[in-house]
Amino acid sequence: MISQKNPLENVIDTLKERAKELNCLYSIEEALNDRNLEIEQAFQKVVNAIPPGWQYPDVCEAIVDYRGQRFKTSEFKRTSWMLQSQIKVQEEIVGKIEVFYTEERTPADEGPFLKEERKLIDYIADRLGHYLLHRNIREIFTNIQTVKESISDKEKGEWRIIVDLLRRTDQNLYIRVSRKMMNYLSWHGVDEAQNLMQQSTSSRTGIDSGDEDEVNRPQRKTTMRNIMQISDDIFDIAGKHLTAQEIFSFVQKWIHEDKSSFLIRTLENQHSSLSEISEALTRYQHLAPDGIELSDSTQKAMNVLLIRRFFTDQLEFINIAKNYVTVTDFHDLLRHLVYPMNSQGKLGGKSAGLFLAYKILCRMGERLDLCSDVGLPKTWYISSDGLLNFLHFNNLEEVIEQKYKEIDQVRQEYPHIIQLFKNSQMPSEIIQGLSVVLDDIGDKPIIVRSSSLLEDRLGSAFSGKYKSLFLANRGDKETRMEALLDAIAEVYASTFGPDPIEYRASRGLLDFHEEMGIMIQEVVGKKVGNYFLPAFAGVAFSTNEFRWSPRIKRNDGLIRMVPGLGTRAVDRLSDDYPVLIAPGQPGLRVNITPEDVIRYSPKKIDVIDLEQNTFVTMEYADLVKEVGDSYPALNKIISIAKDHHIQQVLGFVEDFQREDVVVTFDGIVNDGKFLQQVKTILDVLRQKLDTPVDIEFAHDGKKFYLLQCRPQSFSQDSVPVPIPREIPEERIIFSANRYISNGKVPDITHIVYIDPAKYTEVEDLEELRLIGRAVGKLNKVLPKRRFILMGPGRWGSRGDIKLGVSVTYADISNTAVLIEVARKKGNYVPDLSFGTHFFQDLVESSIRYLPLYPDDDGIVFNESFLNRSPNILEELLPEFSQLNEVIKVIDVQKATAGSVLRILLNADLDEGMGVLSAPSETLDIYSAEEYQMVTSSDENWRWRLSMAKKIAAELDAKRFGVKAFYLFGSTKNAIAGPGSDIDVIIHFSGSAKQKKELDLWFEGWSLCLSELNYLRTGYRAENLLDVHYVDDEEVKKKSGFAVKIGAVTDAARPLPLKNQKE
Amino acid sequence: MADKSFNPFAMAQAQFDKVADILNLDTATRDLLRYPMREYHFNIPIRMDDGSFKVFRGFRVQHNDSRGPGKGGIRFHPQETIDTVRALAMWMTWKCAVVDIPLGGSKGGVVCDPHNLSMREQEQICRGWVRQISRDVGPVKDVPAPDVMTNAQHMLWMLDEFEAQHNGKFPGFITGKPVGMGGSLGRTEATGYGVIFTVREALRELGMHPEETTASFQGFGNVSQYAIQLYNQLGGTVICVSCWDQEDQTSYSFRKKDGVNLEELQKISDKFGGIQKNKARDLGYEILPAEAWIEQDVDILVPSAIENQVTAENVTKISKQVKIIAEGANGPTTPEADKIIHERGIFMIPDFLANAGGVTCSYFEQVQSNMNYFWEKDEVLGKLDVKMTAAYLAVSALARKRELYMRDAAYVISVSRVAQACKDRGWV
Repeated sequence: MISQKNPLENVIDTLKERAKELNCLYSIEEALNDRNLEIEQAFQKVVNAIPPGWQYPDVCEAIVDYRGQRFKTSEFKRTSWMLQSQIKVQEEIVGKIEVFYTEERTPADEGPFLKEERKLIDYIADRLGHYLLHRNIREIFTNIQTVKESISDKEKGEWRIIVDLLRRTDQNLYIRVSRKMMNYLSWHGVDEAQNLMQQSTSSRTGIDSGDEDEVNRPQRKTTMRNIMQISDDIFDIAGKHLTAQEIFSFVQKWIHEDKSSFLIRTLENQHSSLSEISEALTRYQHLAPDGIELSDSTQKAMNVLLIRRFFTDQLEFINIAKNYVTVTDFHDLLRHLVYPMNSQGKLGGKSAGLFLAYKILCRMGERLDLCSDVGLPKTWYISSDGLLNFLHFNNLEEVIEQKYKEIDQVRQEYPHIIQLFKNSQMPSEIIQGLSVVLDDIGDKPIIVRSSSLLEDRLGSAFSGKYKSLFLANRGDKETRMEALLDAIAEVYASTFGPDPIEYRASRGLLDFHEEMGIMIQEVVGKKVGNYFLPAFAGVAFSTNEFRWSPRIKRNDGLIRMVPGLGTRAVDRLSDDYPVLIAPGQPGLRVNITPEDVIRYSPKKIDVIDLEQNTFVTMEYADLVKEVGDSYPALNKIISIAKDHHIQQVLGFVEDFQREDVVVTFDGIVNDGKFLQQVKTILDVLRQKLDTPVDIEFAHDGKKFYLLQCRPQSFSQDSVPVPIPREIPEERIIFSANRYISNGKVPDITHIVYIDPAKYTEVEDLEELRLIGRAVGKLNKVLPKRRFILMGPGRWGSRGDIKLGVSVTYADISNTAVLIEVARKKGNYVPDLSFGTHFFQDLVESSIRYLPLYPDDDGIVFNESFLNRSPNILEELLPEFSQLNEVIKVIDVQKATAGSVLRILLNADLDEGMGVLSAPSETLDIYSAEEYQMVTSSDENWRWRLSMAKKIAAELDAKRFGVKAFYLFGSTKNAIAGPGSDIDVIIHFSGSAKQKKELDLWFEGWSLCLSELNYLRTGYRAENLLDVHYVDDEEVKKKSGFAVKIGAVTDAARPLPLKNQKE
Repeated sequence: MADKSFNPFAMAQAQFDKVADILNLDTATRDLLRYPMREYHFNIPIRMDDGSFKVFRGFRVQHNDSRGPGKGGIRFHPQETIDTVRALAMWMTWKCAVVDIPLGGSKGGVVCDPHNLSMREQEQICRGWVRQISRDVGPVKDVPAPDVMTNAQHMLWMLDEFEAQHNGKFPGFITGKPVGMGGSLGRTEATGYGVIFTVREALRELGMHPEETTASFQGFGNVSQYAIQLYNQLGGTVICVSCWDQEDQTSYSFRKKDGVNLEELQKISDKFGGIQKNKARDLGYEILPAEAWIEQDVDILVPSAIENQVTAENVTKISKQVKIIAEGANGPTTPEADKIIHERGIFMIPDFLANAGGVTCSYFEQVQSNMNYFWEKDEVLGKLDVKMTAAYLAVSALARKRELYMRDAAYVISVSRVAQACKDRGWV
């Protein structure tokens, strides 16, 4: 029963011991950091702090002996149970620490003492050594300062006082400084100095003449006396050529540089660990808490080293960051960094981006109020090698091989990996660190986020691929620690999840080392009722890629905002809408009519439920009814809908139970300050980082908090696509040069083109409506996101149908792009709608919008292609054949012998283009990543095809009364995606009993296929097998699905059955 | 070729010509009614938020005010044409006449797209519109109302500007105001109740008892919900309701053969009348395809969702049991379907009679505003009942007497009332 304790209890025991140690160290640090204490006072405090750190504090006594001075605990007496450590300053032994047990205790590692206690006493001795060194150095500085003050207005020559002082106190330093002076004088053409230099060089090398280089013999050592003499001479020369002020400031600068060189050396050493750096930084801070006056170049060099060490080697980042960070920042950062022993890790991309952005804003805050009013939530970091350390500690290294396994295996094993990680132990130094984190953050909710090193690689949009976990962080410390460790394990495990692995595989990043930093961030917000939430939160972009009005410029930016936690703004939602605002044009709202404002307002809110200790999504209206006015900044967020009227709330809401509350953020828009602040922040960051940015923020009702910052090009919709220049004109279907946003739409197989000229000629209102209905049908028939809709004027116009095809969102929901064509009428070009009628639906489902102005100069609009290509409308929808003249449906692959349409958009150039691309060229023009996309989507249909063949081959035609098995739809057309179903037509002529059996048979297959598909792709699609029955009658008449059998286009493909003769 | 394209005004004139033939109107009356009495076209210059200036084009068309001050909405539409406004103004004349309220027909608008305008700019357009026309509109001349892309907020800005121009308080200048700011109670209920007032009268004429009837509704918005409420109060049973499902981007019909429970459905539906499918299933509703509502074996069909829902394709699915179709929505029946319904002898209560509760309530709002005395809701709805019942009886009497289809009868009665007023005034 000895070690029946569960891992957690062990952890806690260890923790208690660690806590003791930590407390001891804290008290010592406190004493040593107090600059008001004299050495004697500080030492006494240190001695008193020692016993509580030992295993048996009640019998523990300690003594410090420093150059004969003794400091001891009150009951001090010597015994034979003793632990000792020497105090050294620059390798000179200046004293010792001794710890005694006054009574006998069970023998442990070193007498009755634990090995941890040996470490502890050594550390304390070491620490005292540093302390003494710093004090000495500080004294020198103070002396120099005093001299400097007294010297400034005195006679020339008095600089000698300081040089003498230096000569007496620190000879080595004196020599180094004099050497620098010699260099300086020589560079400035002082002959005497040059002579002296030659002299000293030759005297050093011991060679009189000629070939000074390539000497293999050891150099003869110059005696100290000699060197001192030369040094003295140098200063004599300097006295002749430079002013007192010059000499003085040089000397001072060089002393400073010399004193900081240890930090640079530590940083330059590739192998120095984070703890060594931490120590060096602390020492540096102690040396001159107000910062040492260093030359610009030294300062920059130091910054660069620090940035490289903590963040990244990426030159773009370093180039900018070096101007905004200071050594002190890193000192602060280190105090919030948890890292394993001998760590050489970094902080990861997310942390780096946030840190730099915040520093830039702080710097700008000196001039711009709006920037200074930005908060950063309390953030702690775990260094990126924490993950590997964790794996080693638990002997889990083989998990790394996971990434080379088949994706279905990865998916299958992933849940076990999570459990395995959760049941593994965190190394003790990490637990110690986290204990401090929890003490610092208290019981405020926290979010544990990944900060992967992969994230700072350009073009790798890892957002959302790794986990972020919210913790309510309630309960006693043990509970909170348990939850935190669990969360970290889970975030670590997510590195080995199927999504990131698949993603990495597709980007060729699989072999990149697993390193993942972790950010532990206090959640911004307020306790409201039983919930914890920020007033509102969201994301903001420098450039607006979804403009709903031509008056909005790209640079006006875009904010996606929701009440509560920002999770609902970050992701594209299918069941709800965030509020969209262009901070540069806050007056131009997406939704104008009260109905639209209500329809497209956020209805749900993500919060942390403090009672249930979880993250929950709830109805916003319910929450407001429950908590009412205690919701922070409520009247800035909501409006009241009443009588077809949306009223901004003034003062307070009368009755939350009765009023119709709508989230509009009207208060915020009208107040202006918040939007101006976001705009300023976006502008500043964009300017300083030299790239459009994408930030996450939260607002607690009083203050703006920055949560994340990264280049906007990292987010999915915002990559400008190169526009090819030497494309033969006949391959361009259209070009565009107005209101372009970034992005590309690959592999369009069908174009639905409503001929603008023909559309205007339609006289009959009913026929105009019919066109809308035909589009709605096409939307269901054509392959999803593989076709585009091109039509005149304003799609979805509700009032005057002449202006554009009358459709609702449901009629266009599967298109990849919605294109509005503005043809000149007489001498004016009609306004386009910019998709306003369903704008937010387009945004949330990533349907692109593109306006075309064919009559502009230099624009290509290939009408002959659109008009002359074979129109397959009649074949697809025979019932709409009378609309043949107006609606053109083009099967691009057929019309061009295999090409697809590709739409390339580059907002930076304000150019867009629809190009016919042969699939073979595709692979050359496009990046590897797209190639991956093509092949992996290829796999989806190939797999489906082979499964369909297998099923057909297994299907006993006689037993089930089946005459034929046909495949159609996405699988047959080689466009099936991971969520597509397999469309099958069964020509059936059996009995009812056979039908029942067949149904059952197919159901079994369908279930199996769904599961297999899930394992392969992670898509949960039910009823993967979509079986449509046709009977003899239908086949004869070609009605129902039988129309597909032997059809002219897109005919269903027959597959051979079991027991069936060809 | 612009003149070849669809022209709403030409269509409205053609419709009028058809009725004029039935009424055998003289040339002068036809000429008077085929065109608006007055049209105003004007510029509205605005200083935009960015400091630049932009000039917007505004209209007001007063088709006919022989029966009283003009009444009609103000549209903000990016490609507004004068022909659209003319057609709509004429339509308002007939609409007010069919329910026999003492108002004429007008319409107005501004060529602009509010999606490209800030609220401040829209306010300036509203005020600019009123400044340009304030001499020729007003509580006793022409009364604007909200329409496409305008709402209560725009009405309040316009009212404020008008009152500033005329140095007084004239709440009767405009309708569509919020309650407490000159709006009328009962507005929300008006259209739905109006539909059922006409249905009640139709049943009485057909010798049917409401409590013995069943009905199926398309749509579960404002109109349907209040219509169902009143219909239930009369004792009728609704067995099927269809509505739009935002998530699935399609409609579903919800059926409960022993009658749907309005309150329980309201509890599980959103602000737009979208019923939550799963919760409805839990409550014992059958979830059927979108068009199931039209196939039900009921006595009454009430299409009150959007236009063009009863089409040539689905009209054949209407059960033999159906006796009455009451058009709660605007134009729910396509002309082809209408023809078949007519042939089958189903009793049709056409949209501009069945859903005239809305315009009647606007009239009440204007009346109350002019008195500066506002009725309780009961009083509004009581008066609405009187108006709608009278209007229905007049139309159906005419239909019987002249053997007209109800839709034609409603048209005929309103044109004849307007023509008579013009005649009586000695205009023609």
